[in-house]
Amino acid sequence: MIHVSELKKTFTTYERGGTFREALLSLFVRKRKTVDAVKGISFDIKEGELVGFLGPNGAGKSTTIKILTGILYPTSGTVDVMGFVPWKERKKYVRNIGAVFGQKSQLLWDIPPLDSFCLNQAIYRIPENEFRKTVNDMIEMLDLADLVKKPTRQLSLGERMKCEFIMAMLHKPKIVFLDEPTIGLDVIAKGKIRDFILEQNKRGTTFILTTHDLEDVEQLAKRVIVINHGEIVFDDSIEKLKHHLGEKRTVRITTRDRINMESREGIEVRRQISDYETEVLIDLSVVKLNEFIKKVNEESKTKDMSVEGPELEQIIKKLYTI
Amino acid sequence: MTGENSETRTRNIRFSAAGVYIQGVKTALASRMAYRGDFIMSMLIMMIVEFGGPVITLIIYNNGASFPGWNQYEVLLLQGIFLLSRGIAFPFFMGIVWNTIGRVREGTFDLLLIKPRSILLMTVVTGFDSEDLGKLIGGILVFRYALKNLPVQPASHWVSFLILFVFSLILMFAFALFMAGLGIVWVGNYRIYDIFMSVIDFGLYPKSIFTKTFQSILTYIIPVSLLASYPASALLGDLDQSVFMALLSSVVFLLLGFMFYFKMVRNYTSAGG
Repeated sequence: MIHVSELKKTFTTYERGGTFREALLSLFVRKRKTVDAVKGISFDIKEGELVGFLGPNGAGKSTTIKILTGILYPTSGTVDVMGFVPWKERKKYVRNIGAVFGQKSQLLWDIPPLDSFCLNQAIYRIPENEFRKTVNDMIEMLDLADLVKKPTRQLSLGERMKCEFIMAMLHKPKIVFLDEPTIGLDVIAKGKIRDFILEQNKRGTTFILTTHDLEDVEQLAKRVIVINHGEIVFDDSIEKLKHHLGEKRTVRITTRDRINMESREGIEVRRQISDYETEVLIDLSVVKLNEFIKKVNEESKTKDMSVEGPELEQIIKKLYTI
Repeated sequence: MTGENSETRTRNIRFSAAGVYIQGVKTALASRMAYRGDFIMSMLIMMIVEFGGPVITLIIYNNGASFPGWNQYEVLLLQGIFLLSRGIAFPFFMGIVWNTIGRVREGTFDLLLIKPRSILLMTVVTGFDSEDLGKLIGGILVFRYALKNLPVQPASHWVSFLILFVFSLILMFAFALFMAGLGIVWVGNYRIYDIFMSVIDFGLYPKSIFTKTFQSILTYIIPVSLLASYPASALLGDLDQSVFMALLSSVVFLLLGFMFYFKMVRNYTSAGG
């Protein structure tokens, strides 16, 4: 469905120092700087996938998404989305895509979301019956009821975000780009939005999710692409991502006798909580878990123990610092 | 069958560029009227501000001075036409300038680029400025006042006037294209608008008051004379041959405006993520 090959985007910016003297100088002479935002990335996305597109700030993910949505022209490389070259056939192409930007609203502030939906109906040429049915279905799925008739400014952030989803999906797009769709939302609103995304994905819509919320990634994405410094540093399933930096487990132990463990190969003491409680990170490729548990029990008599899987946050942090 | 045809026709009109534009105007008006008091006050202020030029004209003529070749009501007619041209341009399509500048600065220009319509149509649709309807009302009032005090003009003069008035709007649109294009690459620079206002203000007076060289610039290079001077001359039956060059120049200006605007859209770099 999406084929990206050797995609590059270079921007020209101007450098300016922080001092007043440099600011004054920059009025007359500016130092040009070329920034390679995207450095020849390639990937494919199949129909119906829900892909997490991750990366630290300034990694190049927004630039890539903007090229995929036809907003920006690339410097070089090829992109084929559903047979379209986004920036060349923008008008025809964008009819098939939708986008939700967590920090940029498509709704009009002073009028009800329903009026904004009507404007989109005209823009996307959606027949009246189809429009009414889609709006009613989505209002029901997102528990919005009559809220769509209240001015947008009177809605909560969660309610507004739900309306943004209706706005982006009225024309039944085949691909939806999500940029921080749950930013600032409470757990209930986040849950509702995630359920909605999963339901639409089950119905066949392809989603590309850009977010810094790793809970979104864990709960929604089946595949993750991580981009850093304009290059793809990881592209595989979420399970593979969890094992990407070795099979590690966090073990929290409470003992009857004193426990004083020291870090060694395969065991990293992360926190000595008290004389009787500690938290360690075990690399299963070096240390066998059953042998470790047995040894702790022999030495300090285990009272309680919990073993947790790899923390996505740690893995992502390491990928971001590569 | 007839019912079906009529339904299809209605749908085609509603979803045409004009239909989308009307929907955009309705939405903008609804949005603006959410604050009734401010809406009415803004319209009134816009209307009163427009009377500045005509008031100066009245002062000049009441003090015994004049613009050579033009009596007081002829000048007021010219200024009424100028205000009418602005009164149509500013609310209905000139909004593309500040809409583009503002959206590029905030990064919301992207939201228009993901709509399956021409980016120009989208900036016009979302740039309707209802407050500027005050300018239009001001223009109509000055135009009517001047007409009442002038002899009745034959139909042929009115036809010439209407044709030239359309060109006056075309010229305004060309200006809008250049400014909006500049707004895409020259991020956040609202001074573009001030420069434009200074240039078109030359259109508020008969071109005959300027030097020959300056008249040529206002006719052939930046045909500001087409905004009001030529349409007023047409209505008064006093057109000269130079109008054809001004018309040609305005068409070239419009074509260059389109080329420039779409070239700038290509160079759009968007705001940070």
